[in-house]
Amino acid sequence: MKFAHKIAHLVFPRESNNQKAKLLHSSSLTLITIAFVFYQIILTLVPKLGSKILGYAANISPQDVIRLTNEKRVQEGLLPLVENTTLSQAALAKGNDMLGKGYWAHVAPDGTQPWKFFTDFGYKYRYAGENLARDFSNPSSAVDAWMASPTHKENLLSPKYKEVGIAVVEGNLAGVDTTIIVQFFGTKYVDTIPAVPVAEAKSQATPSAGTALLTEKTVIPSSPIPTLQPSPIIVSNKPTSGLGRVLVSPFDITKNTSLGLVGVLLGILAVDGVVVSKRKITRVGGRTFAHLAFLGMIISIILLLKAGQVI
Amino acid sequence: MKNIAKDFTHYLVLFGVFFVGLLGFVLFSYDRNFQTVIAIFVAISYVIWGIVHHAIHKDLYLSVVIEYLTIASLGLVIVFSLVLRV
Repeated sequence: MKFAHKIAHLVFPRESNNQKAKLLHSSSLTLITIAFVFYQIILTLVPKLGSKILGYAANISPQDVIRLTNEKRVQEGLLPLVENTTLSQAALAKGNDMLGKGYWAHVAPDGTQPWKFFTDFGYKYRYAGENLARDFSNPSSAVDAWMASPTHKENLLSPKYKEVGIAVVEGNLAGVDTTIIVQFFGTKYVDTIPAVPVAEAKSQATPSAGTALLTEKTVIPSSPIPTLQPSPIIVSNKPTSGLGRVLVSPFDITKNTSLGLVGVLLGILAVDGVVVSKRKITRVGGRTFAHLAFLGMIISIILLLKAGQVI
Repeated sequence: MKNIAKDFTHYLVLFGVFFVGLLGFVLFSYDRNFQTVIAIFVAISYVIWGIVHHAIHKDLYLSVVIEYLTIASLGLVIVFSLVLRV
């Protein structure tokens, strides 16, 4: 009975809690907020302390990313992109560079531009572009996220590009197990007929601004370029061993916890509102209906949010 | 329900803010920074709505403001924990 009284005290308006569920008191809500912050700190710190129980488990095939990209292009009446292994290797080098140097940006902290990876692998480009994505659990959600971003979409659906290279790299980025997708677009210089050999460069993104894409149009002095045929080689450095593999996504844990917490508070608020209204209790406090609406919006946002970022 | 009908205009404004916030989250799903700004905007609007609403009803007390602030803070912490999680 004592336990039942304690529960009732926490979730039901009665005399012992001044006619307001104890969990809805400002002091309780403050404690819940502080506890949630600590919970997030622990979720962030655990992987950094060397534990491998947290991270992102992804199942992304570069071939699927190419297929989905081409499906979007065909839907828009554009020609599909041809996979180029040189671009894929350059993309892999970019992905490994990000993991090695611990950055998540188009431009490396040391100023290395994405185009360097194109030229390092002998890809003499007329047009080049880069899309990046991380922490998506499947290829379609990554491609959908690119399509939702106007600037990434511009890259994905650009008629300027003829070839694509994809790399999926997994590793530890700033203490978090991460899956990064690097998508390199390109059109070889020899595949175009430059009318006027004037160099032109366009950059639309900075590493920190979070803007979406990098594109570059340039003219590189013509030189013999090896002809590279498309091949179905998948460039990926996913770990093959099952040991130390990531098991759970911190995002999913947070999402489920948040849904549970807000759901419980919504339930208590609803009961509180009904009881107070029926008993005609007068008390000093905020409007239950407004709180319900606010938490309802929060729960909608939680449901809308998906793991994964694009830049 | 009577009070809600009486303050229909107040709640219309509040729901308008929430609707714009939700729409922003959908439309700018690719921009985490902007989503953060939207969340802050909605939370501040909610607190301001509470203050104005209770001031009009002449039942504005410090404990009421704190109640709106704590609920807004909890909502913000939850949204940030997802939007900013990498």
